[in-house]
Amino acid sequence: MTGFVKRNAWVIGLFALFAALVVLTRTIQPDYGAAGFGSLVQAVLPFAFAVAAQTVVVIAGGIDLSIASMMALTSVTAAVLMDGQTESFAILVVPMVLLLGVLLGAINGALIVISRVPDIVVTLAMLFVWQGTALLVLETPGGAAAEWLKSLLVGTVAIPGVPTAITDWIPRALVVLLVCLAVVFVPLYRSRLGLSIYAIGSNNLAAFRSGVSVGWTRIAAYAIGGLFAAMGGLVLTLSTGIGAPIPGPYLLASVAAVVLGGVALTGGTGGIVGPIVAVFILRLVRSDLTFLAVDPNVTTIVEGAIMVVVVMLGALLALRRRAT
Amino acid sequence: MTKSRHLLPLLTGAAIAVLSAPAFADGYTIGVSNTVQGNGWREEMICAIKAQALASGKVDSLNIAHRNTDAAGQLEDLRNLIAAGVDAIVVNPSDPAGIGAALKEATDAGIVVVAVDQAVNEPTAYIVSNNQEEYAYLGAKWLFEQLGGKGDVVYMRGAAGASADSDRDKGFKRALAEYPGITVAHEVFTGWQQDQGKQQILDYIATGAPIDGIWTSGIDNVIVDALVESGGDLVPVVGADNAGFVGQLGSVEGLKGAAVTNPGSIGGAGVTLALQILDGQKPSAQTVLVQPELWENVTDDGKAKLKAAADPSLDPEWPVSIMIPDWTTYTKDQIIACKGPGE
Repeated sequence: MTGFVKRNAWVIGLFALFAALVVLTRTIQPDYGAAGFGSLVQAVLPFAFAVAAQTVVVIAGGIDLSIASMMALTSVTAAVLMDGQTESFAILVVPMVLLLGVLLGAINGALIVISRVPDIVVTLAMLFVWQGTALLVLETPGGAAAEWLKSLLVGTVAIPGVPTAITDWIPRALVVLLVCLAVVFVPLYRSRLGLSIYAIGSNNLAAFRSGVSVGWTRIAAYAIGGLFAAMGGLVLTLSTGIGAPIPGPYLLASVAAVVLGGVALTGGTGGIVGPIVAVFILRLVRSDLTFLAVDPNVTTIVEGAIMVVVVMLGALLALRRRAT
Repeated sequence: MTKSRHLLPLLTGAAIAVLSAPAFADGYTIGVSNTVQGNGWREEMICAIKAQALASGKVDSLNIAHRNTDAAGQLEDLRNLIAAGVDAIVVNPSDPAGIGAALKEATDAGIVVVAVDQAVNEPTAYIVSNNQEEYAYLGAKWLFEQLGGKGDVVYMRGAAGASADSDRDKGFKRALAEYPGITVAHEVFTGWQQDQGKQQILDYIATGAPIDGIWTSGIDNVIVDALVESGGDLVPVVGADNAGFVGQLGSVEGLKGAAVTNPGSIGGAGVTLALQILDGQKPSAQTVLVQPELWENVTDDGKAKLKAAADPSLDPEWPVSIMIPDWTTYTKDQIIACKGPGE
């Protein structure tokens, strides 16, 4: 038990911080409840997938600056494919768009492996390539989304026999998020590939000498990142009902949540739970700042300051623990 | 022990933050959502909203979500405003369709929604907007007439996909159809960003292609700057009534041009309409359009209008029409102070 707590101290701390924020939110806004939580999860969705994409890549020792552009490209592709089509056609669109995401990520990874140019340079270049491609697909925001897909993210889950007082707190968007994350991460954690991703992020040479195929593992990590970016692009299209070719503010937010979530930018450590909780924290802070009617020009300063303070506090605690 | 020493100031801080939250009396609370930050027009809109809320005397507090974000981010802001329990929301939409879901949730919750500047598709929302199609038509028609109905025009649009931009495109195309001798030599989206617009025109000037006139979607004074700096011929420029451009029309030697009014103070009109609806006076139509005017520096009449409108005391990126008759009641000092109720 103590071993579990020690190993997951950071994530437990984040949960505690989130809980404290919820209490604070209730104090500021006494009628904040299930509806507010539902809105929070809807706001979290695109950020959560962006941070999931970044997490896999960062654990593998890389960084992907093209995540927001990949989200824009997959979002407009989905919106264009669903525009003017029947509702059932969307069943085909979802896997096609996810596959596109895998392909985009794999291209990023392959370019890095083949060219041996640093990740940050290649993905910065690809940021512009994917953004330009998104504008080619759709010049101005437009397209459409199937109604049944849109409704997947709206409202709450009804479970027979469970009172609505409880199910009101289970937004569909949360179920979608957890299922999508679990489908990829649970098998990944248990697989040889998952172990290899941690290995190449931790020590490239040691991984190579232990028989890990470093190049293929890196490409796979970027491809999984692309898959999550495509999920992010899809939820953007589903929540707004349109595709927008100009990337949203997801790149920097993904890096911020990765750091806050306890994943070292040097690679090899951390998990997915921390960054996802970090996204919830950052979005709830945004809600609180809105409830408090804080000067909008100050809110971004507050958001940045919270990040710095939390990460510094964490580093301080880690140092102390090492000292004792 | 060490722990509590660190925690105590933190908790006190949180307690102060909670206690200092605005107390809700009997006046209204109005939420504001805007997704372009750091643009003079939008800043004037926000200041007009604050000034009108203060001048009306009916608003206790404003809750302003004002940042650079996309439609999904505006959905988040709107839902936060709904959860904050505001009485009305004044929104400058990032997309006419993309934020429909949250606008519907707001009106379902009994919140009055007023879209300013640009239209939204959601039928339950009220709209107070400048007539953007007419804005473009007036300026383009004047420009094409100046050129004698013949020549190559650079068409510098706003932000791709914004409904104000697509409406202006309709007006521009309508004028273009009336003057078959005019060709659009170059068409770009400035994104309503000054630096981007200036770079784009400098790049085009560098190609050496002939330019007979420039129509801008309000990124205007930097275009004149670029023309002057590049040392080429000054061609006629059409812009908006931004203080810097209006000043240039009077001061830059040899510059012919026209400013079309597009008041950022429309935000104040949005507050007025929202308060009227909250007080039970619904407008006869869901959409209220404010008509633009054109001030040119070619005729004496136009010059007089420009001179009367010019206001060097304003920020060069601010539209000079800082008030809208019948819709705003604040003073110039109030909008420049940019303070809302309780600030």
